[in-house]
Amino acid sequence: MLMSIRGVSKSFNGAEILKNVNMDIDQGDVVVILGPSGSGKTTFLRCLNFLEQADGGTMEFHGEKLQLASASKQAIADIRKKTAFVFQNYNLFANKTALENVTLGLTAGRGISKREAREIGLEALQKVGMLERAEYYPSQLSGGQQQRVGIARAIAVKPDVILFDEPTSALDPELVGEVLQVMKSLAQEEGITMIVVTHEMKFAQDVATHVVFMADGVVVEEGSAEDIFSHPKEARTRQFLQRILPEQFEMAALI
Amino acid sequence: MELDWEFMEETLPKVWAGAGVTMELTLLSLLLALPIGFYLAVIRLHGCKTLQGIVRSYVSFVRGTPIVLQILLLYSLLPSVLNVLVQAMGWQINIFEAVDPFWYAVVVFTINTVALLAEVFRSALNSIPRGQMEAGLAIGLSSLQVYLRVIIPQAMVVAMPSICNITVNLVKGTSLAFLMTVKDIMAIGKIAASFGYNYLEAYIDVFFVYLVLCTIIQIFYHLVEGRIGAFRGKRA
Ligand SMILES: Nc1ncnc2c1ncn2[C@@H]1O[C@H](COP(=O)(O)OP(=O)(O)OP(=O)(O)O)[C@@H](O)[C@H]1O
Ligand SMILES: [Mg+2]
Repeated sequence: MLMSIRGVSKSFNGAEILKNVNMDIDQGDVVVILGPSGSGKTTFLRCLNFLEQADGGTMEFHGEKLQLASASKQAIADIRKKTAFVFQNYNLFANKTALENVTLGLTAGRGISKREAREIGLEALQKVGMLERAEYYPSQLSGGQQQRVGIARAIAVKPDVILFDEPTSALDPELVGEVLQVMKSLAQEEGITMIVVTHEMKFAQDVATHVVFMADGVVVEEGSAEDIFSHPKEARTRQFLQRILPEQFEMAALI
Repeated sequence: MELDWEFMEETLPKVWAGAGVTMELTLLSLLLALPIGFYLAVIRLHGCKTLQGIVRSYVSFVRGTPIVLQILLLYSLLPSVLNVLVQAMGWQINIFEAVDPFWYAVVVFTINTVALLAEVFRSALNSIPRGQMEAGLAIGLSSLQVYLRVIIPQAMVVAMPSICNITVNLVKGTSLAFLMTVKDIMAIGKIAASFGYNYLEAYIDVFFVYLVLCTIIQIFYHLVEGRIGAFRGKRA
């Protein structure tokens, strides 16, 4: 087991957003989290790398167990060095070129020499098909290109797990494919472990080793993509899928 | 009415010589105020409530009173206060002769500029989206590292036009230093003017010198902004 998360809870202003969320992730897993807006998916991911401080819960990572609510600065820094985050709105460093975006975590974050970082950075940009744009600033890139750089920035630090928060939902429809393609190849060819919040059902069906359906801050149902999409047990899951995948769902219902 | 061109020609170099004092006053105040203003901005954003309150009051005090008043107040207050201090230390110095009024001017304009810069830096730092900090933390940087490498470089670009404004206003504002008997552009112009009652000519010279100085400063800032803001891509 790479990562074992138990009992995550989180409230904002008295409203309970996450209620006792558990999740297990093995090396090489691609966990897709689905759920209606406001169900706490983003908050859950952010709690995992301490962009948000959970109120309770534990995380066991590489056999080391820590309390999410009271982790030390050092423990937080360690977790952040072993994870990476891909943001919905990319959050590339506006004052850095694509390459610098990718290398900053290596040089400043991990003390790797500039030359070595550059090599790793170029390799990462190559993997996402952004090598020719290495010297471009984010303002000179399309959304899809920015997100691919965002992914390169995440893989360059060789994290044990990458957290994706709706990586394609801010993109124009015609740019979604290029980003999903990159993620798919990372999962299938590089075996990178990922937790992905997304509403891209095709991606979930093709790539996910595990699908989790969340609603109102709890995990309602989880299983393989097949389990969740073809044989959902819970009414809430069915309702949700019906809205997201109307055609397919009707087909399945007919059979 | 005829302009005395000869007088204007003779006076211009003298007035221009005052540009040295004006620029010294401006640059010195600005260089002193930049780090202090930045520090106050950081306090305003991250300091404890008490310190934040103090900075806020300081800023509103400075912004809420005319600079002429600040000059007159400090110029009557500061020398006497210093004198008391010196006496208390038992030193045999006559403060009223030993300290060039230029330094009082530096103090006044620094105090003023600090307040303006604190506001400019605060809003510039605030204008950088939170996601920049989060992205930095997420790839394993400390918040200080993110500040130094990502937030501050971007905030500086945002602040540049306002800092340019502050500098230009400071150049113009230092013309009030004549109230403290500092021999800057304005003071020299006034003296020359009263000499032969050639007020108009002298003031046209003064006008011209300020115009040149301020134009140079604005061009300079424009170039700097273009350079450090290159990452924003092509913009008008
Ligand atoms: N910093 C915050 N302060 C207060 N409330 C917050 C904060 N962050 C999130 N929330 C609330 O928590 C709830 C869950 O938000 P979250 O962003 O985790 O949902 P989500 O499942 O990611 O939704 P979406 O699909 O729309 O992205 C929402 O009701 C939101 O308003
Ligand atoms: Mg979300």
